[in-house]
Amino acid sequence: MPSFDFKFPRLFTRLLNAGVLGLIAGLFSHTDAAVTEAPQASNNGVHAEMPEKYRAFFQSHCTECHGEEKQKGKVRLDNISFTVDTVKKADEWAKILNSLNSGDMPPEEAKQPAANVKADFLDALSQTMVMARKALSDQDGNITMRRLNRREYRNTLRELLGVELDVNGLPSDGGADRFDTVGAALFMSPDQFELYRDLGRKALTLSFQLAKETPKVQKQHIEPELELTAKMEKDLAYWNDIRKRYRKWTLQVDAAAKFPENVKIAAELKEKTKANPAKFYFAWDKLQGAPAPKEFGFSDAIDADMMNGRWETHAPYIADYLTQPQVKTGAYLASANIQRWINVRVPAQWPVGAYKARIRLAATKEGPTNRRFIDFLSGVNSAQLLSTHQVTGTMEEPQILEIPFKVESATGRSFAIAEKSMLGNADGFSFHDVLFASGYQANNIGPEFAVWVDWIELEGPFPSSQMTKSLSDVRSMLEQFEKDPNNALGFLNEFSQRAFRGNTPDADFLDKLARLYEVRRKGGEKPTDAILEPLSLILASPSFLYLAEPAGDEKKRSLSDLELATRLSFFLWSAPPDPELLRLAKAGALNKPEILAQQVERLLADERAIEFTRAFVSQWLGITRLDFFQFSLKTHPTFDLPTKAAAKEEVFQTFAHLLHHRESLTRLLKADFAVLNGLLAGYYGIAGVQGDAFRPVKLPAESPRGGLLGMAAILAMGGNGDQTSPVERGAWVLRKLLNDPPPPAPANVPQLNRLAGKPLTTRERIALHQEDAQCMQCHRKIDPIGFGLENFDAAGKWRTVDLRPDVPPQKREIDASGAFYKGPAFKDVFELRDLIAAKPERFARGFVEALIEYGLGRAFGFSDEDLANEIVAKAGAKDFQLPEFIHALVASKAFHSK
Amino acid sequence: MTPQLSRRHFLRATGSLIALPALKSLGFRAFAAERIVARPKRMIFLGLGFGVTQETWFPDLNQPGTEYTLPDGLAPLARHKNSLSVVQGLSNQYSKDAHWGSTFWLTGANRFAEAGQSFHNTISVDQVAAQTLGKETRHSSIQLNGADPNIDGQGHGPGLSLAWNAAGKPMGGLNSPVLLFHRLFSEENMSLEKRQAMLAQNRSVLDAVLTDAKKMQRNLTKTDNDKLNEYFQSIRELETRIAKGEQWLGVPNPKAPFPEPSESLRGREEVKLMYDLMAAAFQADSTRVFTYRQPIETLIKSLGIKVAAHDMSHYAPGERMEASQLRDRSQSELLAGLLDKLQAAKEPDGTSLLDHTCVVYGSNLRSVHTLDNCPTVVAGRGAGVKLGHNLVLPRNTPLCNLWLTLLRGVGVEAERHGDSSGVIKEMIA
Repeated sequence: MPSFDFKFPRLFTRLLNAGVLGLIAGLFSHTDAAVTEAPQASNNGVHAEMPEKYRAFFQSHCTECHGEEKQKGKVRLDNISFTVDTVKKADEWAKILNSLNSGDMPPEEAKQPAANVKADFLDALSQTMVMARKALSDQDGNITMRRLNRREYRNTLRELLGVELDVNGLPSDGGADRFDTVGAALFMSPDQFELYRDLGRKALTLSFQLAKETPKVQKQHIEPELELTAKMEKDLAYWNDIRKRYRKWTLQVDAAAKFPENVKIAAELKEKTKANPAKFYFAWDKLQGAPAPKEFGFSDAIDADMMNGRWETHAPYIADYLTQPQVKTGAYLASANIQRWINVRVPAQWPVGAYKARIRLAATKEGPTNRRFIDFLSGVNSAQLLSTHQVTGTMEEPQILEIPFKVESATGRSFAIAEKSMLGNADGFSFHDVLFASGYQANNIGPEFAVWVDWIELEGPFPSSQMTKSLSDVRSMLEQFEKDPNNALGFLNEFSQRAFRGNTPDADFLDKLARLYEVRRKGGEKPTDAILEPLSLILASPSFLYLAEPAGDEKKRSLSDLELATRLSFFLWSAPPDPELLRLAKAGALNKPEILAQQVERLLADERAIEFTRAFVSQWLGITRLDFFQFSLKTHPTFDLPTKAAAKEEVFQTFAHLLHHRESLTRLLKADFAVLNGLLAGYYGIAGVQGDAFRPVKLPAESPRGGLLGMAAILAMGGNGDQTSPVERGAWVLRKLLNDPPPPAPANVPQLNRLAGKPLTTRERIALHQEDAQCMQCHRKIDPIGFGLENFDAAGKWRTVDLRPDVPPQKREIDASGAFYKGPAFKDVFELRDLIAAKPERFARGFVEALIEYGLGRAFGFSDEDLANEIVAKAGAKDFQLPEFIHALVASKAFHSK
Repeated sequence: MTPQLSRRHFLRATGSLIALPALKSLGFRAFAAERIVARPKRMIFLGLGFGVTQETWFPDLNQPGTEYTLPDGLAPLARHKNSLSVVQGLSNQYSKDAHWGSTFWLTGANRFAEAGQSFHNTISVDQVAAQTLGKETRHSSIQLNGADPNIDGQGHGPGLSLAWNAAGKPMGGLNSPVLLFHRLFSEENMSLEKRQAMLAQNRSVLDAVLTDAKKMQRNLTKTDNDKLNEYFQSIRELETRIAKGEQWLGVPNPKAPFPEPSESLRGREEVKLMYDLMAAAFQADSTRVFTYRQPIETLIKSLGIKVAAHDMSHYAPGERMEASQLRDRSQSELLAGLLDKLQAAKEPDGTSLLDHTCVVYGSNLRSVHTLDNCPTVVAGRGAGVKLGHNLVLPRNTPLCNLWLTLLRGVGVEAERHGDSSGVIKEMIA
């Protein structure tokens, strides 16, 4: 394997030499100039330094006008400090960068630097600016107190009250490219207090209601044919009646056309409508004695023609439906408008909660395998996809699917079962029309029926065991309170202890809450109503909403066991500590390394850890980008919503698999397996995977799948839903896999439109980036990587030709070869992937930086250098097994300090 | 389990939780007309996120003054040409984030000004204006946000609306016309006594949570204290609203000028409705300051554009550029509609709302990734600046100079705003 080096780390090392490492307890003795030049007033001893060698650039291109003598625009650059260690200096350098990027400087009439020289200079300066901003915003490891983000708030209410609320009405979290756990980026906007109070009250009301009366499990059995087959028979009669009336009318018009007085005109009309004989009847009123269509129940001739036309596309298909073998015992899902779905209604009197739908169903022999899937949707008119399921049962041996779903409101009671992508928002594409048209074209009837449903059973609600436990806690608190309604203080005290994660509430605070209760009692409210207001205030108070870790400003302190418990459970569950954690904390045992490690294992094994996987992974890898754009289903017809959802799930499921099976993080760079379900395996063309559960599947040797670069979701993010974007993909690889993020897209760079509209390959189009130093500085690193991934289309499918209409036909063959900037070459994606996988510590390092930010709730900074190194080293010693990273972070001093 | 609560329910409930009477009555209007001699000034800031199509939006730099041709992107505003000026040459010197069209647009702040932080912002011009213009209305200002903050790639950048409060923290925005409708016109069925009792109780409520907050405050680091200050700030703003609520007690509610809008409106229709509601709010004098962080993804979708917003912003001749131009024209059409409404609404003294309103329309982003010559349209006679002009200013005139000019123009005595270096003399009529 050839070794190659990236520019970024070199600069990085230089900075470290100058700063951090030099200062860390004198571990290293440096005598080079960088150390002796270390600035006095820098942040944490780290600062950015523009390499001295670039002073020559200034002398050649800047100082003539911006020097000691001539100071054009009051700017002087001959004596500018190359040490960028204050906000003011950073702003000055930002201006220089900006005027170079915008092409303002050097001015047009002056001598221009060679593109390469300028690109190198811009590259160094951009990197220096990234360093400078990072150093200047370094928080020296201080963690800003954070409020619960939306997820944590929802989960906390669930743990505390046993109910789950929709919290999307709260303002969104995060921003400025930070994880949603970073305190400094979590704000409290003026309306928020009211929202919390309101949501808290709703949660309490519902919780009290459920605690008092556990809802009974309800069950309903539905035989879809009872409704459906009867409806089909009725529909068929309706269409046949139309047909009969149309025939009667046209026969009478034909008869009239033979009247002697009509013969001439009829012949003329027939001649005119030769191409479309049905149009002949549009002129019925020109024929004397011809009956009006109104007499046959049509509003006019056009209506008659249209209805007859619709008969043709409906009646034969319905008739065909009614001759299917099992219409008396079940219902077939049809593809066209005749009956695309089976409607399932949850009775209005059933409470909200978690339910199960059990469906007995089978795939017909005639249906092709790619149609052996059903969607489960909410609503019908604007149906939303909830889940997709593979139908593996046969007509001889039907299967029983069990689908969990939630009833979330009094109104959302309508659910539907349909063939995959046949109902609901399919990204604006009518799959059912396309399918029907192709079937109709073939046989003048319609497509074959692919799925048969025997019966459907609804059952629930089934609260989770955790929610049941929380509700029973609420119940016992309530019972206690109802026995002694004058002791509101006792209730409020106990409830706030729980809400405040084991912390003791302020006595004065409780007094004031108790008084609010009294006022309401005097106003005539029942105790359980009057207590709602003070309880909802507990849920809107700072001690509940913020994860406070009191501390002084002078030096860091160790966390108490209770604080550690909270930090740990929010890290891995996004939820408050459970009784077990609290018990260990109160016993002072949690900070013992072996007990802490056991707890990490326990938390990771708990189902709540899925929060960590989903929230962390989607933010770390930027998966939400997948939802930003619609996919063009014309160019990518198989990347429908269910497939997109499965592709996204693959990323989470793969991470969860690695986590739970102690596999190496580096499997995300390259693996001989992929974690797939039946739907996605079908999309990838991998045979033999059946069913909805994701599981590791051994890949054929020649498969391009395995690892993030083989995942459809990752590849699809690097495009716009229609075409690939090698730039997006290349930048993503640099950011996420090689930990060498390109600087943010510079402002004010002139747009390159020169070749717009000309027939060009993607490569030729992007090669324009090399014409201009401002673009070249970053794109020479980004674009080649993207080219290496061009064998994947914009929906992540393998391709060997680019069918984009503006690519000249002789240039369609994809060339995925390339070379890293100042690095090794690769001939295709396999070699590219191997080169990336050969640098696992780079990937691990980027992952660790993200993990630190997510877990500690603060931006990763220079002061975290040794922490990151330590974690990478510890995990590296164990083949980068995924849980080892988490153990190492939790065991670190930083995780235990405020 | 999830409670039985529809989104609409939720909106209603939050709108009326701290129950404030919603609108002044006809009776109040008569009274107000007597008392206020000069008509009140109003301001509207409309932020469009990703910039415009520079080739077809900006008037020719060589046609400064009143004799200029409205280019294609602004053509739908032709009937208001004399009621607006296009201002060219403005920029925020510190703005460098090429996808952030709104974050610093009204603030001019330096993102990195605060050592030890990677994000810093300062008060936005609308909030400065609201401190003065908002004194006499039920709502000091109203923020609208049509661009889902969860969806990146709309060219607005961080923020919950265009507004940033005195501490430089993001202010939340109402994200649908339905919410705005309820904020303005929600029916209030509660009796006066009951409402008084509720306001009084709300004071005790705030007192209680402040007790907890103060206890927590005692042992925090300075940074954490700053964080907790956001909580205090949110409580203080509620207190102000309660105080306002008391002032407005006994003012019966007016009828809404049109029925409650449908929740499903998105894109073009949504913007239009927001505009209608703004005009209605001014007529009812419910507020005098609006900001609107406008939708992009949903807007272009409603125009039948298939390109994603970010791709559209990187236009090149062809489909993307056409999309960008269509977006420009549609936005201008919508703006023209708003100006029509303001022009048609008559004040008691016979003048029009547009005579007393200053509308600013623009973004911190010009086109693609450029942050200079920020697209800027100033309309309405509210700030008393020169209208009917293609105003070509020296390159990189601080955008904050415009904000300062407008603040002074509407009678707000500000010494400076952001990095302003003075008022724009060329704009003073």
